[in-house]
Amino acid sequence: MTEPPVRVGIVGAGIGGLSLALALRERGLQADVFEQAPELTEIGAAIALSANAIREFDRLGLAGELAAASTIPTELIYRHWRDGSRIAAHPVRQDDWYEKQFGAPYFGIHRADLQKILSGAFDAEHLHLGCRLVNITEHADSVVLKFASGRTHEADLVVGADGVRSTVRRWITGADDMVYSGTSAFRGIVPTENLPSLPDPHAIQFWMGPDGHLLHYAIGGAGEAVNFFAVVETPSIWLHDGSVAEVADEVPVASFRGWHPAVTEMIEAASSPVRWGLFTVRPLLRWYRGRVVILGDAAHGMLPHHGQGANTSIEDAFALAGLLTDARGDDLETTFSRYQALRRARTRKIQRSAQVTSSLLHLPDGPAARTRDAKVATVPQDYGWIHDYDVQQALQASGPAPAAHSRNEAR
Amino acid sequence: MPQDQVLVGITEILGGVADINQAEITPETSLADLGIDSLMMVEVVVAAEDRFGLLINDDDWPRFKTVLDATRYIDQAAGRP
Repeated sequence: MTEPPVRVGIVGAGIGGLSLALALRERGLQADVFEQAPELTEIGAAIALSANAIREFDRLGLAGELAAASTIPTELIYRHWRDGSRIAAHPVRQDDWYEKQFGAPYFGIHRADLQKILSGAFDAEHLHLGCRLVNITEHADSVVLKFASGRTHEADLVVGADGVRSTVRRWITGADDMVYSGTSAFRGIVPTENLPSLPDPHAIQFWMGPDGHLLHYAIGGAGEAVNFFAVVETPSIWLHDGSVAEVADEVPVASFRGWHPAVTEMIEAASSPVRWGLFTVRPLLRWYRGRVVILGDAAHGMLPHHGQGANTSIEDAFALAGLLTDARGDDLETTFSRYQALRRARTRKIQRSAQVTSSLLHLPDGPAARTRDAKVATVPQDYGWIHDYDVQQALQASGPAPAAHSRNEAR
Repeated sequence: MPQDQVLVGITEILGGVADINQAEITPETSLADLGIDSLMMVEVVVAAEDRFGLLINDDDWPRFKTVLDATRYIDQAAGRP
């Protein structure tokens, strides 16, 4: 292989950073990934991978490994918060509906499993743990990252994949663009066998009620555990330093008092007295400055109600890698501007839609909720645009940069 | 930037997103009549932000009913320090 035209430094080894590293390698570009954590461990949380992301991993040959660690939901079901009645139900695995419709499957997977599969597909020698970014210095023809340990790294360009509290974004915009949503969540992973009251434990289900909702789906190769995310419209102001705050033991289940036993049983079974503040990033005019650019939550942190935070990070990663294929070190602005043009409207739509969805999921019983209930009957049609998106097609439509075709061409 | 320049820019953007001849778009034209739904409106908003170099708050643009509403908003936002 000839000398790579661009040396890329990636800040953050989350889903977006690792996806970018793999996407660049597919294109024959070398990346070094720097992660502040001393090891790749994700605390109890799962994600739902949708077709718009899985079709990229499929091309890299990772679909089998992902499938082995994932559960495909039977159906997408919306339920009433108190009586548990099915307001609407849509097939997912049933009749192979989702994969036939969107060209790739839908996977519930533990974050740690996903991260392990992605990092395992990458080269360990280029994954650098325990590197907390403290400074970025731009030079005429390079950019230097400085880490808390004193270590430095010189690259042609830097990609910040460092999440909603991004240090790299702060360097680009000069401001803290993070916004607290006024909502927070309790979450957990519970063995399916501990949920006797739960109907359809292998479906992805929204339980919708006044000032809150609970979403859950199964994970693991055999659906052996259920991951849930229970959102409430409190506190109005977030007074803690990080995104996580300890609460008294009884607070999570008390927040859902009066809800269906399946809901309270699930929250109780997790016995995790911790509240996660939900933060977004206000829309930004520029995702780049000089030789530095951002992707994923760092660029467009969104509410998770379409399950698209990680999936849009993966889209970003493959889009940016495609555009970097014919980037020139002395003209990165052109490439970054094309990347932003390709990604900003798409992610803003999902970010905005997730915001609107948050209020719709939290309506009290009444006329507004009945209108909402009629709307969720057409969710697969109304939100198909999220799932049928194809990064490679979007790249081809956007201009001359070549799309990736075969998993082996860049090795 | 004079308001008529903003109007020209908005008209070009709307014509592109709605795939409609710009000659058919007047200040009084309603965005709904152009077939602009909330998803298309995000494309309009992002294109207008890029073109005029300012951010349009997500809480503000759902209130735009006509071409003139969008034009006035951008004209006034651009004039702010």
